[in-house]
Amino acid sequence: MSAKERETANVGAGLWRGIGMWAWILFRISGLILAFYLFVHIWVISQGRVGGAERLDGLFDLFDHPILVFLDFMLVAAVLFHALNGVRIMLMDAGVGIRQHKAIFWACMVVAAGVLWVFAYKAIPFIL
Amino acid sequence: MRTETLDRSRGGMWPWLGQRVTAVIVIVTIMVHLVLTHFVAIGELSYANIGDRLAGGAVLANDVLLLVAVVYHALNGVRMVALDWGLSGKGTRRGFDAFLWVAGVIAVIYGIWALWVWVS
Repeated sequence: MSAKERETANVGAGLWRGIGMWAWILFRISGLILAFYLFVHIWVISQGRVGGAERLDGLFDLFDHPILVFLDFMLVAAVLFHALNGVRIMLMDAGVGIRQHKAIFWACMVVAAGVLWVFAYKAIPFIL
Repeated sequence: MRTETLDRSRGGMWPWLGQRVTAVIVIVTIMVHLVLTHFVAIGELSYANIGDRLAGGAVLANDVLLLVAVVYHALNGVRMVALDWGLSGKGTRRGFDAFLWVAGVIAVIYGIWALWVWVS
């Protein structure tokens, strides 16, 4: 790998243009949202110990609301985008497919969309 | 970019490696977590259902591994964002790192403590 190729290997990071820029921005935003959700999630589940079954099941009843099921579905979308873009980053780190980085980005997004579709199939009856 | 990322002031090698190792662990364990909650037990979310699921032991192991890996991954990610946004100075950086470690250890212990109501 030449010095120039090595410089651009971490596609997106520092390359302030094109698809890599948008992938990087969405990666950051999804990461921060998921980090925030993680601590909310730990708190919610801990209510089973703090307040018992009644308290936790009371919270779960709130989550049955279609809007919250939709938000839960959006979380799955964020997880899948973050995971598959992360796979792309690790491929680039390993020096795999640097020349085909755009094709690999879209291939990763097709996988993410495909898995998301399977989750959508399950989620839609709870939203509509 | 790669050398900059590995540079100590930009994050260091161990956090860089840790982020990738935990990424792989999280991808596997979160898929198990999501398939069990959104496919196997869909529409059955309740205190009792969580107890049934964790009783197996394997699911508990998966979720504890996920908890540890994802807390590290999330806080190390927050650290990367903070470094990019200009968190600088050796003292500030060390203080922030210490804060994240304390927050992470507390979150993991609290999470395991919370799950143990279904184990004991």
